[in-house]
Amino acid sequence: MTALASLTIAGRTGVLTLHRPEQRNALSIELLDALHVRMDELEGRQDVSVLTLTGEGRSFCAGMDLRQVLRGEDGQEWAGPRLLESLARLTVRVRRLPMVVVASVNGAAIGGGCGLACVCDIAVTHADAKIGFPEVDLGLCPAVVAPWVVRKLGAGKARRVLLSGGLMTGQEAHALGLVDHVAPTREELGQTTAALVARLASGGATALRATKQLLNRLDGSEDEQVVLEGARLSAEVLGTAEAQRALAARGS
Amino acid sequence: MIRVEDADGVRTVTIDRPDKRNALTSDMLAALGEAFRTVDRARACVLLGTGPVFCAGFDLRERAGEADLPGLRAQLRQLSQAIAVMRASGRPVVVGVQGAAIAGGCALLGGADVVVADRGAKLGYPVTLLGISPAVTAPFLRERVGDGAARALLLNPELITATQAQDIGLVDHLVNEPGAVSSEAMAIAREMAAKPTSAMRATGAWVARVCGAVESEAGLAESLNAIDAETFERLEKGVWSR
Repeated sequence: MTALASLTIAGRTGVLTLHRPEQRNALSIELLDALHVRMDELEGRQDVSVLTLTGEGRSFCAGMDLRQVLRGEDGQEWAGPRLLESLARLTVRVRRLPMVVVASVNGAAIGGGCGLACVCDIAVTHADAKIGFPEVDLGLCPAVVAPWVVRKLGAGKARRVLLSGGLMTGQEAHALGLVDHVAPTREELGQTTAALVARLASGGATALRATKQLLNRLDGSEDEQVVLEGARLSAEVLGTAEAQRALAARGS
Repeated sequence: MIRVEDADGVRTVTIDRPDKRNALTSDMLAALGEAFRTVDRARACVLLGTGPVFCAGFDLRERAGEADLPGLRAQLRQLSQAIAVMRASGRPVVVGVQGAAIAGGCALLGGADVVVADRGAKLGYPVTLLGISPAVTAPFLRERVGDGAARALLLNPELITATQAQDIGLVDHLVNEPGAVSSEAMAIAREMAAKPTSAMRATGAWVARVCGAVESEAGLAESLNAIDAETFERLEKGVWSR
């Protein structure tokens, strides 16, 4: 099962890769389960100072697996709430990891996928990547990611971005502060990421860990409840007829 | 002097007193609050100003020559309420700034979700020169641009350019000509009004909830406390000439 999220560790750095390229690394229940298993492994790894999170193939992460959140016939089990809760818990776990986490956004990072990049300590992308939160366009509410976007961008920009929907380029995301570094081309992203990771990993292990913990405390990242409440709200909106119609229209 | 129009799911609120650079009287501030309190079926709101200047702040001549500090107090209170109502409207609010947004006029940006301005626009809070504390604005501004930029902007009476305002996140979209501000703001509002309503409502309310309560009462109290004899002297001397 963990094949959906591969982890390699070399010395003080590790790479965690979403591995579902044929579905643009969309977050299915199974992929989320695999990521949770990787969190189990990483939480105790005090020997790893920097972890890179990236996606296999052309996309970083296309967000929720929309096929799993479409309501089927009445009475059929609906995976929406479970998927959103799993994503919510995952974001909290990524934030709490003892190592610095770098999102290397290799391609599209959409909705929950963009949220995953946002929860990382530092995000890197390339100029042409498609990034953003189009939830409201689909009748969805980006409630799980909102707390992380507010922490990353500040309240003012978060309001504008989450209420405007749509997508932006990596260049625009960089100007906005949604990503911290931008490589000129997709081909150069690996190099940019490697240089950043090497510089981060040259820092003192204890100092990095302590600093991250302090920042988490200062910005309220420890508050798991607000993210879980977000998952419930998000599921509620996702379950409405308006949202389900928009999703079905998009899927067909 | 405050015009309200509803069309295409958008409520357009216009400050319409161009001969006074849209300076805000107590009555206008009250009408502004009312316009956002009664949005009814509109799904997005726009705030615009008529003429070359979006808004030059309070009309301090409303009480010229009189020892009418209660009037200033009332304006501060109504400004704080108007911004709070803009934020609580449950609709995305787009503000279009052409020319200048100064003092109380700039404070209105604290009620916005999206701000459009022309490149030549000037923004800021030169009210400390008058002996008036912009504390009333601080809680809203701080939420919009963060603590560092809010401090710099409120404590320094210099105006900043729209480009600088965009850098700190006070302005979201720049247009080249002042004349293009209102159409761009309207276009953004129409686009937002066309998005699924329940998702927009839920998202707006949730972002507000995640950001936590804005301490608007504390800011207002500070501004009211700061009004003293010196404020009145400075007003009398016309330190700030329009």
